Amino acid sequence: MPHFTLPILPAGPVMDAWVGVSEARRVTLVSLNQPVPNPVQIRALVDTGASSSCVDPSVMTTLALTPRGQVQMSTPSTGTTPHTADQYDVSIFIPCGTNPPLVRRTVGVACVELVASQGFHALIGRDILRSCLLTYNGATGFFTLAY
Amino acid sequence: MTSTSGAKMALEKELATYKSKLPELKENNEGKFVLIHGEEVVGVYDSYEDAMKIGYDRFKLETFLVKKIEAVEQAQFITRHVNPCSTT
Repeated sequence: MPHFTLPILPAGPVMDAWVGVSEARRVTLVSLNQPVPNPVQIRALVDTGASSSCVDPSVMTTLALTPRGQVQMSTPSTGTTPHTADQYDVSIFIPCGTNPPLVRRTVGVACVELVASQGFHALIGRDILRSCLLTYNGATGFFTLAY
Repeated sequence: MTSTSGAKMALEKELATYKSKLPELKENNEGKFVLIHGEEVVGVYDSYEDAMKIGYDRFKLETFLVKKIEAVEQAQFITRHVNPCSTT
């Protein structure tokens, strides 16, 4: 399996990633002779406490996306009653040096505001991790993601 | 909160259609993905990707909804402080 190993930062297992329009949207934009927005480079946190992946609304705005769905979300901020979050179709690309990147060409992500001061704009949740092997080695201070 | 949609409540009609059609949809399609355009249930698909591809093929950049069919919608859980964003 391709994999990468990175240091665990104070914010946790954080890495560079690119978020772009989904493959289905990209094909449509090309067929309509419309420009395809460049993918947005972000910092993403691997978060096993997130059942689905999430992206900050600033990224959706940059990509000129409109929601394609809604999901109910429970967070410490919402209390006991789930709140509604818009869902967007995006692509996610995580580079891995000379190895094949981790790519999800069309994935639904929830739109949530992530505090910029935390140092990341996306959570890589268990929907993506379910096809990965995550090793968190706190003793050495590194994590490995194989996919 | 940052607005992420130029058209507020863009999916209002599609979500209403989903709600009204859910009793039929859930019969044999639990866990699959429905594609809805306006008041039309276009189809049910095994994967999110398939539903999205058909949606863009047929409706291009128009509004359409892709939603997982669940008799009782399961909330997504995030264990850190974040604010879900919605235009509706």
